[in-house]
Amino acid sequence: MSMGSSAQLRRLKPLYQLVVNNILAIVAVPLAAAVLLRAASLGPEEILARALALRPAHMFLCAFLPAAATVLYLMLRPRAVYLVDYACFRTNPNCRVPFATFLEHSRVWPGFDERSVRFMTRLLERSGLGEETCLPYAQHYIPPSRDLESSRAEAELVIFSAIDDLLAKTGVSPQDIDILVVNCSLFAPTPSFTDMIMHRYGLRKDVRNVHLAGMGCSAGLISVELARNLLQVAPRGARALVVSTETITPNYYMGKERAMLLPNCLFRMGGAAALLSTDGAGARFRLAHVVRTLRGASDSAYHCVYQEEDDRGNVGINLSKDLMNIAGDALKANITAMGPLVLPASEQLLFALSFIARKVLNNRIKPYIPDFRTAFEHFCIHAGGRAVIDELQRSLTLSDEQVEASRMTLHRFGNTSSSSLWYELAYIEAKGRMRRGDRVWMIGFGSGFKCNSAAWECIRPAANADGPWANCIHRYPVHIPDVLKH
Amino acid sequence: MVFEQEQEEVAPGAVHGHRLSTVVPSSVTGEVDYALADADLAFKLHYLRGVYYYPPGEVARGLATKVLKDPMFPWLDDYFPVAGRVRRAEQEAAGGEGDAGAPRRPYIKCNDCGVRIVEAKCDRDMDEWLRDDAPDRLRQLCYDKVLGPELFFSPLLYVQITNFKCGGLALGFSWAHLIGDVPSAVTCFNKWAQILSGKKPEDTVLTPLNKPVQGQSPAGVTAPRSVKQVGPIEDHWLVSAGRDMACYSFHVSDAVLKKLQQQQKGRHDAAAGTFELVSALAWQTVAKIRGGDVDTVTVVRTGAAARSGKSLANEMTVGYVASAGSSPAKTDVAELAALLAKNVVDETAAVAAFQGDVLVYGGANLTLMDMEQVNVYALEIKGLRPVHVEYGMDGVGEEGAVLVQPDADGRGRLVTAVLPRDEIDSLRAALGTALQVA
Repeated sequence: MSMGSSAQLRRLKPLYQLVVNNILAIVAVPLAAAVLLRAASLGPEEILARALALRPAHMFLCAFLPAAATVLYLMLRPRAVYLVDYACFRTNPNCRVPFATFLEHSRVWPGFDERSVRFMTRLLERSGLGEETCLPYAQHYIPPSRDLESSRAEAELVIFSAIDDLLAKTGVSPQDIDILVVNCSLFAPTPSFTDMIMHRYGLRKDVRNVHLAGMGCSAGLISVELARNLLQVAPRGARALVVSTETITPNYYMGKERAMLLPNCLFRMGGAAALLSTDGAGARFRLAHVVRTLRGASDSAYHCVYQEEDDRGNVGINLSKDLMNIAGDALKANITAMGPLVLPASEQLLFALSFIARKVLNNRIKPYIPDFRTAFEHFCIHAGGRAVIDELQRSLTLSDEQVEASRMTLHRFGNTSSSSLWYELAYIEAKGRMRRGDRVWMIGFGSGFKCNSAAWECIRPAANADGPWANCIHRYPVHIPDVLKH
Repeated sequence: MVFEQEQEEVAPGAVHGHRLSTVVPSSVTGEVDYALADADLAFKLHYLRGVYYYPPGEVARGLATKVLKDPMFPWLDDYFPVAGRVRRAEQEAAGGEGDAGAPRRPYIKCNDCGVRIVEAKCDRDMDEWLRDDAPDRLRQLCYDKVLGPELFFSPLLYVQITNFKCGGLALGFSWAHLIGDVPSAVTCFNKWAQILSGKKPEDTVLTPLNKPVQGQSPAGVTAPRSVKQVGPIEDHWLVSAGRDMACYSFHVSDAVLKKLQQQQKGRHDAAAGTFELVSALAWQTVAKIRGGDVDTVTVVRTGAAARSGKSLANEMTVGYVASAGSSPAKTDVAELAALLAKNVVDETAAVAAFQGDVLVYGGANLTLMDMEQVNVYALEIKGLRPVHVEYGMDGVGEEGAVLVQPDADGRGRLVTAVLPRDEIDSLRAALGTALQVA
């Protein structure tokens, strides 16, 4: 296509969107006008005469059928689920790990050889992590201790602080919680975290509690969906507490396999707690959709993020080289499912036309990538690593500002696994960018390979910047160089 | 390097179970560079080892490691150069000052790498340990490391927390002399204790920034008489003395001091101070056990008046004293003390300006170090005062060193001698007579 005509098309696009997105109004208005004109032309006596001529049965059905359909629709429709509020674990400077310290610990401990240390150095330099990310207390030791007691201590610290914060923010008492869902992928002691929370907060005897283990970094949204489903069958106005975290202490890899050293460098301490309810009073967000895409049926996706032992018996998580490709495919599958739910009619029509054109006419026509900026104002992309964010920015053609929350979360907190989406939401709110009516898209990736996304709509933005970003938001955004030399 | 090993063979009563961790500044320093002054570099081969003993009891029981570590994070915000690591300046362009083979100037890169904390245990009671009076017990309670061989990854400060069976606690500080002298170090540690006790310490002054001394001494000039040239030193900043050195502490009581002061009455020169008297006594004793060959001594003093107010600096005066003619072994203590009071030849500037690597302590001569003005007993942890403090030094040359410190009640003196290990026994014997009061 020539430059002139594509520029013209671009100018026409807003008009096209206006027409297609409001097609109902555009059709309804002339139709209503035509009906009124016809009624006017008939005259009132004529209309009355025709109305009286109708049989009572018809009149009854005319009234009853639509009413019944409406009531049935309202009753069978799923209950709206709201996010009352959320709180993230605020990291303590006592747990801070600067680059230099991380690298020195790797060098000083004889278990890592020269090659491994060089590899980790290069990784950290290009990782997009900053100097304030935090590791649990036990990992400040040389060598880090991975015992059960320290792991529990870390989990308790993170989970209890996040829940304390949340209960203070919402004013909800622990006795009012009806459903409890906790996800922590790599540490599941007995009794479970849900029991730990019950014990600490004295929750009721009839709480529906579930712990999700082994579900990977996208488990945060799985927990949200589970809570949503449980809220459909709970009494009206029930409250569900969803806690997402990852315990790092027991999972430090002590071997020499390079693919398994990556998590050591990227994973950091973090956690979040969210309160969901079917009672919208005082709620801050409404959960619009949750879409989950599972690719585990395919071999390569299944083995993409795989926990195993290396030759020497050290347990770690092996990340395959295809990770980016598989993530890209999973994302495509997810947005194909999400698109029809959230995209405005204009984008869906264009996508459908382009799809048909490719199938029927010519496969060489470029597929139309729907512009998701028409569906969402804010994007929270799992801060899995710099490569993941770069890949998603490219696939979804997002601007730097739209992925800023993800990049800055990666810089300040590192990869906090399932809770990273909540830190990103906190960033957007701390920056004061959230408005009433804004729609947020949370996209999580994780082992499996799973791509899960959730769409939220803002009802009431945060009143202030209080939260995990409170004492550092004024320094952000920062420019993150490609390679951070030390 | 000792890591936690369950099957470790532990000599009975030895300090064991070392666990290492790191403490960093609580906020990001921003990767600034801390320039080292010439005076700093003159002392780079020496390492202060200070041990503080705290008695068992309620307070000591409440001092879990985490309680001791938590105040270190804000403490290191103020003292961020101590959390840095040594680097060497980038190579000068060809044709720049100095020849291409000259070693590049070291500086501290303040990369927040942190301070190393060591936790250890001892299966003996602290009283027993102190009474034993074993030579070189300092080495067990202060982590025995220096800068290098991996210079870039060597912490400038190690803090060892040793728990005794009785509940007593020993804090051992291993401080690289490079970053500051004894008063700087002790002030630094005291500030940590103040933060721990909830007090707000004085501001840390790190400006004006250090600059190399103008008027460098030209190459080929010999080292000042107070110090000994060594090296050139590469990346392992320790000159291993041919003989094993050990620290030994002994107490000079109030009564002995009075006797020494008595002995110098009747002399028409001005009375010498306690440092001169005590170090003269040590000088004479060492001369006796060595058979007299200690004609010159190096004297390192803290002149409280001369300090610039910077929190991290090497500002001690360095000089030497030559005994006039007669052998110190046969001279009176009072006579030697008078020499120390009046005949010190100050070489501080010359030592700083000297280009090569030098050993100040124990290098050219027996070195006498004055720590009297340093308030070591102010390191109170939650109101708990140390019952005993001793400061030694590592990286001391074969000639040896003597450190004179205040003692627990302030009236006597505690003296730590750093000498070759085989001289310690002779020293003990000789002191037996020298410290008698009658």
